[in-house]
Amino acid sequence: MLRFDGVTLPDNAADLRREVRAFLENYDGKLPRPNSDFGSGYDPEFSARLGERGWIGMTWPEAYGGGGRSFFERYVVTEELLAAGAPVVAHWIADRQSGPLLLRYGTEAQRREYLPRITQGRCFFSIGMSEPNSGSDLASVRTTANAVEGGWLLNGTKLWTSGAHLNHYMVALVRTEPRGENRHAGLSQFIVDLKGPGIEVRPIRNMAGDEDFNEVVFTDALVPPENLVGEAGNGWEQVTSELGYERSGPERYLSAFRVYVEFVRACGGSPGSSQAAAIGRIAGHLMTLRRMSMSVAGMLESGASPNVEAALVKELGNNFEKLMPELARLALPPEAHSAGFREAYADTLLHSPSFTLRGGTREILRGVIARGLGLR
Amino acid sequence: MTDSLIVDSAAKIFADTCNKNVLDTAERGEFPEALWEAVCENGFHLLALPDSGAGLGDLFAVVRAAGRQALPVPLAEALLANRWLGHEGDGLVSVGLAGNGGAWSEVPWGRIATRVLGVTAANELFVACPESVVRGANMAGEARDTVTVGQVEPVEVGEPVYATLALSRVAASAGALERVLEMGLRYAGEREQFGRPIARFQAVQHNLAMAAAEVAAAVRASDAAVEAIGGKRFELEVAAAKSRVGEAAGVVVEAIHQVHGAIGFTYEHELHHYTRRLWAWREEFGGEVYWQTRLGERIAALGADAVWDFVATPR
Ligand SMILES: Cc1cc2nc3c(=O)[nH]c(=O)nc-3n(C[C@H](O)[C@H](O)[C@H](O)COP(=O)(O)OP(=O)(O)OC[C@H]3O[C@@H](n4cnc5c(N)ncnc54)[C@H](O)[C@@H]3O)c2cc1C
Repeated sequence: MLRFDGVTLPDNAADLRREVRAFLENYDGKLPRPNSDFGSGYDPEFSARLGERGWIGMTWPEAYGGGGRSFFERYVVTEELLAAGAPVVAHWIADRQSGPLLLRYGTEAQRREYLPRITQGRCFFSIGMSEPNSGSDLASVRTTANAVEGGWLLNGTKLWTSGAHLNHYMVALVRTEPRGENRHAGLSQFIVDLKGPGIEVRPIRNMAGDEDFNEVVFTDALVPPENLVGEAGNGWEQVTSELGYERSGPERYLSAFRVYVEFVRACGGSPGSSQAAAIGRIAGHLMTLRRMSMSVAGMLESGASPNVEAALVKELGNNFEKLMPELARLALPPEAHSAGFREAYADTLLHSPSFTLRGGTREILRGVIARGLGLR
Repeated sequence: MTDSLIVDSAAKIFADTCNKNVLDTAERGEFPEALWEAVCENGFHLLALPDSGAGLGDLFAVVRAAGRQALPVPLAEALLANRWLGHEGDGLVSVGLAGNGGAWSEVPWGRIATRVLGVTAANELFVACPESVVRGANMAGEARDTVTVGQVEPVEVGEPVYATLALSRVAASAGALERVLEMGLRYAGEREQFGRPIARFQAVQHNLAMAAAEVAAAVRASDAAVEAIGGKRFELEVAAAKSRVGEAAGVVVEAIHQVHGAIGFTYEHELHHYTRRLWAWREEFGGEVYWQTRLGERIAALGADAVWDFVATPR
């Protein structure tokens, strides 16, 4: 049976929470966004200011610019930022998974090169996993890297790469050996400078009208040998190790949070009984999801690899992110939709199809859970 | 903190003494004397006495263990009644809903109770002796009688009694949910169709994965409410838990019956003793909508800009 133990935040959590709130209140840039989706607000200036406060790479060793703090402290900062609708996407991936990947598998030189800049909020990463013919079946990637004099030559196409048009680097999963019997063998990860030669980045407009994800085409793109992450051929193990970080955080249930806030506002201080019931039902989900997600942070803190638990939290969280705007909509007659509600609701609904796709589809996550239950 | 020794021994004794036959007999309206004696011999019904040394957390862990076995005795009611009245004599004290005109409804095993507590959603508590009883049952066939009472005395306990009773259904449901999930997982591994266990089929795997996620959420919600005992937010945490667990029960019962096919639809199979209880317990001591509304009214009164703080700083 899967267990999600209760966790109690450390004593300093309350102070930290207050600091983050005060910081957000005093931030003079543009805040808040209409939604609380981690993927929607790009603001490098904001990221740099967070870096100054020590709120990026919080759990990393101080030697690399990190804060040496606990996963719980990181949890408090990230959930406060998301709940407020802060523009976090610029540094999000580097903080959440590229940095931890380099800490675990990178060379000392790579850590010294990238981690301090990431913690300063000045170095942004993209995830280069998906391709035109490789979505859920990630091990089928066809982009190749061939060893040549002076490094590796990359050829192929990455697709749906969020932020590639804005970020500095991508961690690309590629084939370094032809596919054989074991389809998980022969894969490797590289740090790729997205401004480098032989690389073309084309933004793809999404149905909400924004440009966020991209097609990234490599044509004999030369990557220096020191950019190999970990060992050649070990890419599968490395890429799957990122998933516990990727799947369980507060971003997996808070994407629609601003809709809730605006819904409560539109209902007013003495809501009708069906509105009150909707507010309460949503709260019951939210309180439970947060506790489960924090429970996974506790597992990460104790050094476990909670991939199944993380998949389970993402599955529940994504379902909730889709259910909640619907409950709010049905409880508020259209004429009661305030401008604030309409904006948050529309923005969230237009992005909602992506919630159960990005970071592993619902079907893939259920497969991960089923394996954890011993069914496959 | 729960004392796992008490809880483990309760789980073992419940599993040893409760079986399909006991469940069927109880559903026919006969009180399972032997089972109740085993419970009382071990003192489980006294766990919640203020001087028992066990915390209220232990009490709910034992109630959850009872839910796991669909234990057909009013253990939670007796535990709490003994806590609120003090333990006197061996007669059963049950707890139902105090009503006007001296008719108290939904009294588990009111037919054999020597005294009855009546509760209201406003946390009023009364005690009385039954004068006459009309037998009734919930949809799980659990005895839920209507008791006509004579002289009624108020009882002052200074605890949020209604939410505490609601939590007993939450905790029992958490136990029953874990049990039906295990039944579904086991059956899927054993039952073969098309030459392989049905667990091999992706559609079946997905139903069970979704059910497992709901069960995990229900258990976390239930535990969180238990952890909130004695705190300022206790009633609101129970509200969140009753709502979340009720929703999980609907989804999980549906999925686990689907996995079991026709055999799970038979009276002979034990699955329905758990699934019908899960359905029935959703309504007892406040249905989801009742608790959702209470929670929602509180959040609305705090205002939109306090919503996040409400969620993020529960203590
Ligand atoms: C907004 C957004 C941002 C993204 N950002 C990035 C990024 O930065 N980097 C990156 O690498 N990728 C990114 N992705 C891609 C994402 O990882 C993929 O969309 C995802 O892995 C699914 O791949 P696909 O879209 O090709 O769908 P497919 O894999 O083709 O799946 C289509 C449908 O078939 C189902 N399906 C597939 N295989 C199975 C199976 N075995 N059993 C049952 N059902 C199955 C899927 O669940 C889905 O419903 C992003 C996607 C979105 C929507």
